[in-house]
Parts: sequence; structure tokens; C-alpha cells
Amino acid sequence: MEVSLLDVAFSALGVLMDPERLFYLGFGTLIGLALGIMPGVGGVAGLALLLPFTFNLDAYSAFAFMLGLGAVTSTSDTIPAVLFGVPGTSASQATVLDGHSMAKNGEAGRALSAAYAASLIGGLWGAFLLGLTIPVLRPILMAINSPELLAFSIFGISMVSALSGSMPLRGLTMAGLGILLSMVGGDPTTGQDRWTLDTLYLLDDLPLLPVALGLFALPEICDVAARRTAISETSKHNLKDGMVAGLKDVLENWWLVAKCGSLGAMIGAIPGLGSAVVDWIAYGYAAKTCKGAEKTFGKGDVRGVIAPESANNAKEGGSLVPTIAFGVPGSASMALLLGGFMIHGLEPGKSMVTTNLEVTYAMVWSIALANILGAGLCFAFSGQFAKIATLRYTLVIPGVICIMMVGAYQASADWGDLATLLIFGSVGWVMKHLRWPRPPLILGFVLGGIIEDYMRISYQLYEWSWMLKPICFVMLSLAAISLFQPLFKKIFFKKDGAQLLKFSPAVFKNVDFFPIAVITLLLWTLWQTFSWDFESQGAPQVIVLVTLACVVTTFVLTIFNRPVNQTVNDEDGVLDLAVDLGKIGRAAYNIRVLEFFGWLVGFIAVWAFGGILLSAIAFVIGYMRFRGRESWKATLIYMMAITGLIYFVFDQGFHITWPVTVLGTYFPILHDVIPTM
Amino acid sequence: MKKLLQTAAIGVAYAVASVGAQANVHANQVADFYKGKDIELRIGYKPGGGYDNYARLLARHIGKHIPGNPNVIPKNMPGAGSVKLTNYLWEGAPQDGTVIGAISRGAPFEPLLGNSKAKFSADQFTWLGSANNEVSICATVKRTGIKSWTDLKSQTVTTGGNGSGSDTDQFPKLLNAVLGTKFKVVGPYGGGSDIVKGMIAGELDARCGWSWSSIKSKNKELLASGDLVLLMQMSTEKHPDLPNVPLVMDLTKDKESLQILNLMFARQGLGRPYVAPPGVPAKRAKALQDAFMKTMSDPEFLAEAKKGGVNLSPISGERVAELVAAAYKTPKAVIARTIDAIR
Repeated sequence: MEVSLLDVAFSALGVLMDPERLFYLGFGTLIGLALGIMPGVGGVAGLALLLPFTFNLDAYSAFAFMLGLGAVTSTSDTIPAVLFGVPGTSASQATVLDGHSMAKNGEAGRALSAAYAASLIGGLWGAFLLGLTIPVLRPILMAINSPELLAFSIFGISMVSALSGSMPLRGLTMAGLGILLSMVGGDPTTGQDRWTLDTLYLLDDLPLLPVALGLFALPEICDVAARRTAISETSKHNLKDGMVAGLKDVLENWWLVAKCGSLGAMIGAIPGLGSAVVDWIAYGYAAKTCKGAEKTFGKGDVRGVIAPESANNAKEGGSLVPTIAFGVPGSASMALLLGGFMIHGLEPGKSMVTTNLEVTYAMVWSIALANILGAGLCFAFSGQFAKIATLRYTLVIPGVICIMMVGAYQASADWGDLATLLIFGSVGWVMKHLRWPRPPLILGFVLGGIIEDYMRISYQLYEWSWMLKPICFVMLSLAAISLFQPLFKKIFFKKDGAQLLKFSPAVFKNVDFFPIAVITLLLWTLWQTFSWDFESQGAPQVIVLVTLACVVTTFVLTIFNRPVNQTVNDEDGVLDLAVDLGKIGRAAYNIRVLEFFGWLVGFIAVWAFGGILLSAIAFVIGYMRFRGRESWKATLIYMMAITGLIYFVFDQGFHITWPVTVLGTYFPILHDVIPTM
Repeated sequence: MKKLLQTAAIGVAYAVASVGAQANVHANQVADFYKGKDIELRIGYKPGGGYDNYARLLARHIGKHIPGNPNVIPKNMPGAGSVKLTNYLWEGAPQDGTVIGAISRGAPFEPLLGNSKAKFSADQFTWLGSANNEVSICATVKRTGIKSWTDLKSQTVTTGGNGSGSDTDQFPKLLNAVLGTKFKVVGPYGGGSDIVKGMIAGELDARCGWSWSSIKSKNKELLASGDLVLLMQMSTEKHPDLPNVPLVMDLTKDKESLQILNLMFARQGLGRPYVAPPGVPAKRAKALQDAFMKTMSDPEFLAEAKKGGVNLSPISGERVAELVAAAYKTPKAVIARTIDAIR
């Protein structure tokens, strides 16, 4: 049996070595890399668009193309994450924390090369694990049902503690808010509208992308705009040294790569988890287990890049598992891949691990080869990319903002996406500057919905006895340890733990507006629930109350614990990017941020008036000429490049449904002549 | 007599010719309008699902059957299970025949069934046709020991649901109310395939609300293994493949129950509907409807559909309009009972 399996595995490699098939694999990989770089445009849109082209290919070429495309978006998405703090896809959010910090410290080249090496090894490891487990896939999955998936998701959310640094209560508050955000929309069982503000947009779940771009990317761009300098003023290494250093980092941390790769493959195999949280869970795991992580993570520790990057490439192999074995797509791109199955007369299930085993192994090889090619190409160009971090801010910001706006809008082709981006952008900026941890919010947001669904299913089937199933029991115990250990540590074992219970007179500061705003918001959400039908009230109310308890406690502890003559020590111990105001005072800095926010609002206003092309032109000219005094020549070339990209890629390529504009409505002739108007 | 015949013949020929010429003029007017233009085919879902797949296939072929050969560009406009798109088509989209839509089979009936967010009256849309009659199946697995639908009245059966408003949630609830079955709906599962996996792995007993075409294309293995027990088919007419599986409409004689079943399952007949806004000029509407039916018999289209495992049993726009209009005439009391049953 063993030998024959190996035989099939290698004959599948032989099959794939056909020049035409390799060509399609390479072609898919290139497209995947390009899609991964652009924030908001993931592999799913690309796959949907290109699926018809695969109809006439043979099955091996078609799957090589599709898997190549899907496998490397999480390799190239690192580039904007490291350089601009803008995750290219949702799988590289966690890379921003340390990757972008490294870029700011002048180590962009090292961060990128470490990321690619980690991606490569992680991707190969994921493929290897998949290849190894193929014969036992179905039996394993038969044992993993809703209660087990629920337990895994709960374990995932327990990573909140690792992602909150030394502020567990702030982390829990944010996780609670994240869960509440995931509940916005129709109640999945009763259909009750929850906090939809009577809009159709909020009736569907809030899309992840505008939320993630808002929380993490916009604040970084705002800060670059406010500092008015290049992202990185210094360069620690020359090109070659940086790249070699990155490689060395990965080799030195091979055990971390292997662990996070396995974690990524496992998470990828759980439908609904996948790319949205795989990076955070791996990052949280590394933050918990790496030596000295609490001091260095978030400030440019290369291990904070290696962990998420090895995990997010490994997830692709994992997400093939439920797809192949049961036709349950592990991710959105796998749903499209399933379409490809049918076209080529394949059916997910037993046949994929028996009669069609060769096709299955060819898929595994496709993922492996695409990872090698993708990482190789990125690696070859990473030196060039790293230079972008040293460019003037007026050359970086217009392009990033235009693409990010379109990317966010693409989530559901609705003004609501842009509102979400801006709202979470402001909240994210405040959180970053006041040291409220952002990762728990995202983790709660992504996992909240999944946990709610599996919880309902498990309870309906088993009531509370689902917790006693062996796998569930183990996972829940691990989750409890992971969640409560830091909390207890802080209260009981810290050297200055006694201080927590020593109260000084209350001292209020300006920064208290944030917890007060959170409390107000929570009270409003609670008040709203009272008008819902009774069955829909319970779960949201429990989450609101627990969150409220966390935020009130941390708020009270803070105000009564402020030594009057000392600066607030809220600043330490948060796993997040460091705040650097440059040489500017806080007041002047905030005004600059507000000014930049004005640019963004203006961008959207012009868009609503005359279409995205008009607003892109206005923004590029306005920002480069009047904010930055760039030359007309540079401005015009830049403008043509951006508008060309929007027109050819987004309008003609992706056929994005643009919003109705004022000009287009009142002058229909303009709507017919000018694209996007 | 001969002369009379000759005159008559000339008259008939003239009449035929002039009708033809008139038709030509119509076609020309329509062709002039569409020439060089784009038609947007808006899809009420994100890329990747069944509705998206059908619509993109249609978009690749229908253009050559519309006079003037416009480009047909598929654009996704997801939201609220395509209610967002249907609202847009009702009020907001240009009514000149340059925007058409692919909506869900359930959307036209949402306003009837008490969805206050659905702000349209579907009997006034310009219906272009439907690509498939989606007979829906109630099925269980052998392990449960259930052999026919009558067993469902004595034995409680867990069935997977995809959440409020989904077929898999509403259909079993409706059957409980109308036929006295004892389904226990468990959910919300993420997708239909998650439910099927649950059935195979032993977590669930049944799935009720499962397109026959989907079983045929995605679950051949399960079907061939004999593990699957088909309990009933839900539509207003039997599927030609399934003469021996009881049709839900034959399971009761009660007049009001039949009206409820009809209100709920009429949608299956218009399984993959295409629609234009109300008020599209009559000639263009006709041209679009004709183009839809011509596409459905276009050999290239059929070949591609076959390759992609896309099932087709098209009906015309006129027929879709009839089905929708009939549902809109359902008595208020019956509608109220239906809403009660599926809640």
C-alpha cells in the first residue's frame, strides 16, 4: 500500500511535468502574485473571472492553473503589508505588526526575504502534510463534526489573551466588541435584524476586508501622511545583507516554521476559518511561546513575520482537505475549484482518494510547485520592492489610497464598504494611539460568527453534553488555560500585583473618552436588543454584558490607579505597532491626521459626484501638487498609471459594479461616454 | 375562380411580406439601439455560486442572439439573498433594456411572505425566462431506517438547515405544518454541502431542500451507493428522472394546503430566473425574451453547459410571468398561514 501510494504520488509529478501543464501552473502563479499585491483583490475574484478559460484545458492543467493562482496570493500579499502596513489579502494582517515595524526600522529587505522563505517552507510543509494524510482524510473528517469545529474555533478565540499583551481586560473588551460586530445583520436562526440601522448593507454580515483595511492599513497610511516623511528613513542593511539575514532568520527558526505551518494547515482545513484568522492564530501562538516575545513582538521582531507567513501559505493545502474529501469548500476559492471539479467530470469524495488519486496528488504537487515559483519570483524582486519604503510619502500615498479604496469597495460594491473603511480607520487610529489592542477585535469578529453558528448546531443536537466529547474537552481545556492564565498571572503573581488593589483618588484624562465611548456604545447596543423578538435576545445580551464588565473594570482600575505625578503607563505591553510622532507635537500631529482624513472624505465625495476615475485624478493631482509639490511631469505620469490601472484592471477586467454618481444621474450622456461615471 | 385565387394568393403574399417587413423594422430599431452598447447582467450574489455560474454562462452567449449584438457584461451586486438587486431593478436601474438581472428563485415571492425589505411587486417585472426547473428533494440516509415519507409522520428526524429564510430551513417547517411530518431543523450550516457531510458522518438524518440537479452533478457517488433514500420531490410537477418519487402536491387533498404548497413551490419551476426592470420598451423586451429562448437552444451554449455540469430545462419569460402572477393572486388567509408555517 505504502509503495503504491508513493508510486502514484510520483507518477502524478510526472504527469504535471508536461510543458503545457507547467505553463498553466506558471501563468496561474503569476496572476496570483499580481492579485495578492493589490489590497482587496484576492484570488476569488480572479478565479471567478478566469474559470471559463479553464474549460478547454485538461484537468491537470486546469487545476494547476487554479491552485497556482490560489496558492501564492498569500506569498505576495506580504509586500504591501511590510512596505505600507496594508495587508494585500486578509491572510497577511498579522504580518503588518512586525513586518511593517521592521520596514520602518530600515529592515524591509530582511522582513520580505524572511517572509518569502517562511511562505515557501510553510507552503511546502502544508502540501506535504496534505499528501501524507490523503489516504486517511475521510475517516479523520468523519470524526470532526460541528462540536469539534466549535471547540477548535473557541480555542482560536482564546488566542485573544496572547494578542492582548499585558492588558488582558482591554483585549477581552475588544474581542467582545468583535463578536458583537459579527452579530450585526440578520439572526441566522430567527431572521431578527440585529443592529442593522434599517439598512440592506448591514443586513448581510459586515465584510471582513473593509474592516481589516480600516483597522490596520488606514491608520498606518494616516501616520505616514502626518509624519510627512518616507516610511523608512534609514536602511540598516544593504540589499544583499538584508536578504541573507532574512533567510538566516528562517533557518534559525525552523521549528517555529514547522509548528506554524502545521497550525496553518489545520486551520485551513476548518471550513469558515482559513485565511481570515490563520495569521492571527499563528501570530498569537508565537507571541505566547517565543522567548522574550512580550518585549519585542510588535516592534519589529522577525519571528512575528515568520509565524504568520509560514501559516498562511500552509493553509492552502489544508483547505483542499474538506474540498477533496467531502465537497465542503474550505474557502471561497475552493468553492470555485469545486466548479472546476464538475467541468472535468470529477467528484469530491471517495473516488478522489481511490480511482482519481493521481489527480489529487497532482493538486498537491501544483500547490508545492506554485509555492516554489511564487516565493522564488518574489525573492528575486524583494530588493527592488524594499526600496519603495524609502520613497517620499507623496509618491506612495496616492497610489496606495486609490487601490485601497477600490479594494474596499469591491467587498460588496456598496457605499457602505467605504463608510466601513473610514469608520474603522478612525477607530483603528484611535486604538493604535491610545494602546487598545486591535488584533482581538478582528479575531472576535471573524470567529464570533462561526462560533455562534456551530454553538447553535451543537446545542440543538447534544445540548451541553457536546463539551464532553473527547476532542472538544481537550480543546476547551486548552482554550481555558490559554485564556485565563495571563489574567490570573496579572492579578495574583505579578510583583506589583498588590498595586492593583491599592486605590488612589480618581484621575481623569483626555484619553478616557475612548472607554467612555465604548461603554456608551455598549449601552446603546443593549438597549436595542430589548425591541427584538425574545429568542434572539439572549446570546447578544450575554456578550454585551460580559464586554461591558471588562471595559468598566479596566476603566475603573485605570482611573483609580493613576499616580498623580507620573505619566500614564498605559503605553507599555501592547502587541501593536509603536507610535512614532516624529519631531512634531501631539496637537500639531493630530491636526495633520485630521487634514488627511479630510482628503479621504473628499476622495469619496468626488467619487460620489463623478466616479472613481475623476476622484483618482483629483486626488493624485491634489495630493502630489498641493500637498507635496511634486513636479507636473511626475504627477501626470503617476496619474496616468493609476487611472490606467483602475480602468483596465478594475473596470474592464473585473467589471466592478460602480456606484451611481451625481453627474451620471443628471447627465446620462456622460454616464454612457465616461467610464465609471 | 382562378383569378380570385391568384388575387388571394397575392394578397396573402403581400400580407406576409409586409408583416415580415414590419418585423424587420422592429428588429432594426432594436438593433440600432443595442449596436455598440453594453448590456449589464447584474448578478445578485458574489462570484462562485450556482446563480453566478448560470448567469456568467448566459452572458457569454446571449449577446449574439440580441439584435445589434451588444456586449453582455456580468457584474456582481450581492446583498440580502439578491433582494438588494431586485430592489435596484425595481427602482434605480435604467428601464431602457441595458440592465438585466439574475435573481434568486425565491426573491419574487419575498414581498408576499412578509419581507418588508423587499420593496417591489414582482408581477410587474419584465421576465426574460428561467434556465432550469429546479425540482427540490427531501432525502435521508439508509442508516435512519426511514423508507418512505409516511415514516416522517411517526418518527422525529433531524434535518440540516442553512439559516433563516433558506430553503433547507423553510421547506421542512412548511411540511411539518401542512403534512404533519416531524422534522427537527438543525442549523445554521454554512452551505448545502456541509449538511450532506453531516448526513454522511452521522450528525444529521436528512436534507430537505436539495436540487435534484445538484444531487446529479455533485453527489453521484452517494446516489450510486444506494445510501441515499429519496423521500419526496418538491415542485409543482414531477421531474422526468423521478417518476417513482412522490410529488409533494400529491400528498394532500386539502384545498388550502395545496394552495400553500403551490405558493411555496411554484418558485422551483422558475429555478434560475432572469428579469429586466418594469417598463422596458415592449420591442426590446420581446427581443430580450426571444434571445433568451434562442440561447437555450444554441449548440455552443448547450455544449458549454454540458461540460460545466449545468442542467437546463428552460421556460419562457411569459411562463415565468404567469407563475409569478398566479402566486400573487393567492388569498390573504393562505399567505398568512404560510408565513406562520415557515417562521
